[in-house]
Amino acid sequence: MFFEQLINGITLGSIYAIVALGYTLVFGVLDIINMAHGEIFMFGAFVGMLLISYFEAPVLLALGGAVLVTAAMGLLLERLALRPLRGKKGASHLASLISTIGVSIILENLAHHLFGAGNKPFPTSFADASFTVGSTTVYLVQVIILVIAVLLMVGLSLWLRKAKAGKALRATAENLETASLLGINTGRIIVSTVVVASAMGGIAGVLVGMAFNYVNNQMGLPMGLKGLAIIILGGMGSVNGAMAGGLILGLAETFVVAYGNSGYRDAIAFVAIIVILLIRPQGIFGQALPEAKR
Amino acid sequence: MINPYYLQIASFILINIILGLSIYITLSTGQLSLGNAGFMSIGAYTSALLTVKVGLPMVAGILAGSLLAFLIGILIGIPTLRLQGVYLAIATLGFGEVVRVLFINWESLTSGAVGIAGIPHLGRTMLAGLQERGFSSEQWGLKNNEFISLTIFIILLAITVLLLAFFSRLFASRVGRAFRAIRLDEKAAEAMGIHTTYYKILTFSMGALLAGFAGALFAHVTGYISPADFTYHRAVEILVFAVFGGSEVLWGPVFGALFLTVMPEMLRGMSEYRYFIYGTILVVMMVFRPQGVLDQPLLDRLRGRRGGGGDDAA
Amino acid sequence: MRKISKFFLTASILALVLAQAIPAAQAAPVAAKIGVISIITGAGAAYGEAITNGFKMARDELNAKGEVKIELLIEDSSGKQEQALAAAQKLINSQQVTAILGPTLSTEMKVVGPEANASGVPIMGTSTTAAGITQIGKYVFRNSLPESLAIPASVKKAVAKYNIKSVAMLYGNDDVFTKSGFDSMKKAATDLGLKVTTIEEFQKGQADYKAQLTKIKATKPDAVFCSALYEEGAVILSQARKMGINQPFVGGNGFNSPKVIDIAKEAANGLVVATPWFADKNDPQVKAFVQKYEKAYGKKPDQFAAQAYDALYIMGEALKKAGQADRNKMRDALAGIRNYNGVLGKFSFDAERDVVMDPNVLIIKDGKFQIFN
Repeated sequence: MFFEQLINGITLGSIYAIVALGYTLVFGVLDIINMAHGEIFMFGAFVGMLLISYFEAPVLLALGGAVLVTAAMGLLLERLALRPLRGKKGASHLASLISTIGVSIILENLAHHLFGAGNKPFPTSFADASFTVGSTTVYLVQVIILVIAVLLMVGLSLWLRKAKAGKALRATAENLETASLLGINTGRIIVSTVVVASAMGGIAGVLVGMAFNYVNNQMGLPMGLKGLAIIILGGMGSVNGAMAGGLILGLAETFVVAYGNSGYRDAIAFVAIIVILLIRPQGIFGQALPEAKR
Repeated sequence: MINPYYLQIASFILINIILGLSIYITLSTGQLSLGNAGFMSIGAYTSALLTVKVGLPMVAGILAGSLLAFLIGILIGIPTLRLQGVYLAIATLGFGEVVRVLFINWESLTSGAVGIAGIPHLGRTMLAGLQERGFSSEQWGLKNNEFISLTIFIILLAITVLLLAFFSRLFASRVGRAFRAIRLDEKAAEAMGIHTTYYKILTFSMGALLAGFAGALFAHVTGYISPADFTYHRAVEILVFAVFGGSEVLWGPVFGALFLTVMPEMLRGMSEYRYFIYGTILVVMMVFRPQGVLDQPLLDRLRGRRGGGGDDAA
Repeated sequence: MRKISKFFLTASILALVLAQAIPAAQAAPVAAKIGVISIITGAGAAYGEAITNGFKMARDELNAKGEVKIELLIEDSSGKQEQALAAAQKLINSQQVTAILGPTLSTEMKVVGPEANASGVPIMGTSTTAAGITQIGKYVFRNSLPESLAIPASVKKAVAKYNIKSVAMLYGNDDVFTKSGFDSMKKAATDLGLKVTTIEEFQKGQADYKAQLTKIKATKPDAVFCSALYEEGAVILSQARKMGINQPFVGGNGFNSPKVIDIAKEAANGLVVATPWFADKNDPQVKAFVQKYEKAYGKKPDQFAAQAYDALYIMGEALKKAGQADRNKMRDALAGIRNYNGVLGKFSFDAERDVVMDPNVLIIKDGKFQIFN
């Protein structure tokens, strides 16, 4: 049972990590928390579900479709709900928090009207495929999720470290004004950050649909809250922290159920937040003290 | 003309105003708390359990609930107020969720998700008390349910007016000026000799006290509570009262709670689109008026038009 | 005001005269406003949709028959107690309804029920299955099968048929419905002397049940007792079967919906539920209802639609007996309903205005609900 639970935990954790990456990218560059990220994730899941159930699209195409739609949503989000707030007199960090909460409410209800209420199945051709290693059963879905998650994380890290746009993004995250003085088009960086983050949310949505075989219009919030907990755990704005935090939370939740009381599963994320903020407020991988970034 | 429907809405408005105040007070030193739903649940559960299981009178239950929320506010406030901005927001959000999960799992005490029913009802208890003394609602030309709703409304109105009077004086005092100084620039305030930690914990725990108080009232107005009443959605709703109405003036959360409680009722006819509108309002407000609908210049102008001289509460 | 009452006076005199002149069968229909509190927006909107569909269909049929003329006034509660209470106050005091159907959730009923009872307005839950609902007061009714009746029925049959000795239990601990279902389940298991291998909990909106299921699988129970709403239950089943948990699942009434099969597909096979509603029942009344509902709304009616449909018919029956839109007469007429034959089968209120009926125990077999025996 231990190894099966370990694999369950890693699968869940890698999905959490991808969700958290979306938060951390946006926070790193813009210093805001995008409360609508969970709902963008949910739309990604729906697009994937529609492509797979109605057009019998292969998984890669479903992922592509979800990425396109959620990226476009990210663009709209930035244009309509974030950009107008930037540099506005009297706008605090609270303003963007509230406006993205507003967007999340709109999106949740939009999904209700477009797709109806209730769970929808997420059929995949390989849903039941599995193989056995020793006494442990491993499902193909879990392997696929893990592979996609690892590819995504490695790709993102490489892009941030090596590619010009990635470097510009990091510079902007470091200090927006300096980056702007250095000739970086920070406006464009901001847009592309939100777009990339949203697209990652879309991918995570499809993965969740695949892994757990359902989508519904309420799935954004719980996942969004977990994502928030993870970036606190890993350090706000830290890419490595989001990945590690996601895995830690996924494993912790799974093992609390396996060896403890499943009733407290949802509390772990929040207890972790409180503990980490009291002991090491910058998070496991964070460097800057929270006081420095407001 | 005494329609229990309108009085019911009015009573929820008043409770929401107290909730809005609870977050406004914490905000007045620049602290954002998303844990007020948690404090609200502490107040509600304490009072409900004390009145239902121990049989204490309602007043004692409400006071105990508020006090416990206050004490826990201090306990939580001391360590977490080292944090700022979004960190504090998320830490307090975490606190609220932990409290909720605790109430769900602590079944022997709270009956878990099933909740606590049969909590003494504010209006019905008053009516029963009066009937014991030989009064009846017919003496005032009221039906029983009219009397009940009216009693709740009057009690809540009196409480809210007292609270507003108290806080408008507090904010006009030296203490209130200290709050504003901290909000504008914490370091500068500290340099000027303001004991920032003290004032921050004061506002945080006062916010907790008010939230707990409102929670206790809520329990005795609805007669039933369960952990599902105190979720993240509630915390956001409370926050929105202050942020929409205005987070810089005392009348802001009052207006926010009033408007945002009445609006969904008025939009009942188009209830399918209610949350669309709700969400859109939030975004539009932040884009065009991030300080909220009411701010000091607007209040001054409103006062000017009425011809009265503005007081220097600012 | 005076003009209107004069009009009514004339109208009622006229009606009296007419009533005497014309044989009783063609009397003017008894008109009444019936309030509905349901979830139109928010998390439980799927239930509200089915419920209001059931009401509307029953209303159209009843009105077409001409004996009663029911006007439905539908208010949204969003599943929240305060909104449900405000909606109730509106219906009771502003709209002056004769009776109320709903609200959807037991939590809402615990707030709305005492208010309606205090105001002397009969209120009938069509989906409130928790314990202690009709005990609120003498104006509170329900026609929804409580879990305390449904679950022992399905458990008993499943235990006998599969020779179950040990069970694992899984339930949602943050929901009133699933929690009280679990309490009934646990009691039923204890009563039958079953060995409980493990009790696992989950929370609303959880996507991943694998951790709990892996643990359950390791304890090798003869069956899994699962108290969940069908939305979650279907997902749990599909994940469980995928993991090779092929034991029978026993659920309550909330687990019963055609959607379980839509979502879980073949994985749904082997689910035993007890329910007041069976869509494939060999009964002309049921068949006609299913056909008509499917035509109108494009899907099969679930139990929420069926219970709502029957509930309004019961209201209509009571209204006919009461003879006028009077709240107290409605209450008395409702309380006297016995052996009403609806799409749910034979239905009576007991002395406490609670449900008396025989639940059907069903199993999903070959992708279909079938009678379990």
